[in-house]
Amino acid sequence: MERKVVITAASAITPIGHSKNEIIDSLINGISGVKKMREDDLLYPHLHSKVFGAVDYGIDYDFKRKYRKTMGPVAYYACQVAKEVIEMADLKNDFISSGRLGVSFGSTHGSPIVQRQAFQAFFSGSRPGHSSISGVDYLRSMSHTTAANITRMFGITGRVISSSTACTTGSQSIGFGYESIKYGKQDAMICGGSDEYDTTTVAVFDNFLASSANFNNTPHLTPRPFDISRDGLVVGEGAGAVLLEELEFAKKRGANILAEVIGFSCNNNGGDLILPNINGITQAIALGLKDAGISADEVDFVSAHGTATKMGDIIEAQAIRNVYGNSPYVTGLKSYMGHTMGSCGAIETIITLYMMEYGFIAPTLNLDEVDERCAMIRHTMKLHKSDIRIAAIQNFAFGGVNTSLIIKKFDN
Amino acid sequence: MTREEIQIEILKILKEEFEIENPEMDDNLSEKYHFDSIDAIQLLSEIEDLLKSELTMEEKTLAMDIRTINQICDYVESLLKDRS
Repeated sequence: MERKVVITAASAITPIGHSKNEIIDSLINGISGVKKMREDDLLYPHLHSKVFGAVDYGIDYDFKRKYRKTMGPVAYYACQVAKEVIEMADLKNDFISSGRLGVSFGSTHGSPIVQRQAFQAFFSGSRPGHSSISGVDYLRSMSHTTAANITRMFGITGRVISSSTACTTGSQSIGFGYESIKYGKQDAMICGGSDEYDTTTVAVFDNFLASSANFNNTPHLTPRPFDISRDGLVVGEGAGAVLLEELEFAKKRGANILAEVIGFSCNNNGGDLILPNINGITQAIALGLKDAGISADEVDFVSAHGTATKMGDIIEAQAIRNVYGNSPYVTGLKSYMGHTMGSCGAIETIITLYMMEYGFIAPTLNLDEVDERCAMIRHTMKLHKSDIRIAAIQNFAFGGVNTSLIIKKFDN
Repeated sequence: MTREEIQIEILKILKEEFEIENPEMDDNLSEKYHFDSIDAIQLLSEIEDLLKSELTMEEKTLAMDIRTINQICDYVESLLKDRS
């Protein structure tokens, strides 16, 4: 049984805003959400990169304590965007707890802030009476804390999938949610990803000399995907959630359909865990098209992973060229906010939905001079009024994981 | 620590960490405030901090039958007595 799957609600917390209007305003006006990194007492002094895509505005959480007690910052973000899509879609309580609604939601590795606090207390000797890490701290920090807290807060009783594959966490969450509905296991899925402010992630990329360090005093000028002056990625934070529903179910309840998910692919490079792999990425893109049952020339827009690392962008541009030629517009949306890690796949899908709805394609920010080794594709150099009918959102992760999601504008 | 001091500390913990305000000493915490196993784990951790002493497995097991604030105070009083 193969069923059609549609997106009926979307919400994101990003370094360029929370509401749809704020995010669109930043895209149209070329406003970056990358700021100087906040100083902390842990890693800040040791890092080369001093920039971060931070969520530096307040969020009016309205969660009861019985839910808050098992949540770290990463779960606050996740539950907030999940709450917003449930409200937006007007899902009824009897369906939410029917077992036909599931959750596919993840983060890179739970809550590093809670983990750090627990280990600091344990190893610094500041809490000598403790022989173990608190069970509550585990619930707040575990790798599936986002999905678990969403189910708990809303009483969701369907399946739980919690991807934790770094940069493909969000895209896998949407892809696996899509497959759960397509093959009849669930009628709807809340899908997405979330990651919190964390300098240990910066330290990892710093260590690989893959983080941006040349723009510490002009943070809005980095990252620079595909640009000749790019010098690495910028870590960011945020969350994104979409509600996926089976088409007939959505129609029957009068849902507002934003787009259809028509394809998803996920593969692995089968080797190196860090370096991008031209064959693996090319194959993932091609598999996405195959799953969607469309040809490459039907895709109008590609949301590139575009981390702004030296090698990653070149390999990605070659892979896009291999499959799509130079037909679709290509934008690296991380240029606006940095790499929001476990949430980037969801946030980039949501921004693509917004552009689809409002009929424009945002340019890659800071792409002033295209690196000639990345020049063989159709980069979005300026804001275009353009009707996106079919878009591909591609993401690649440490561990060699590659994904491609294909979404199509829905003709109501 | 006197019984009165224990009560003050426990009420302070319940207010600050569990948002339980002005409870009755014999309220069933589970029924009235939805105090659950997650809260129980956290409360034991707070009691360890209060006593500046690690609880044994047996002591933690004993706490699982506690339902009211009076019983929490009895429990802490007993722990202190064992440690004096």
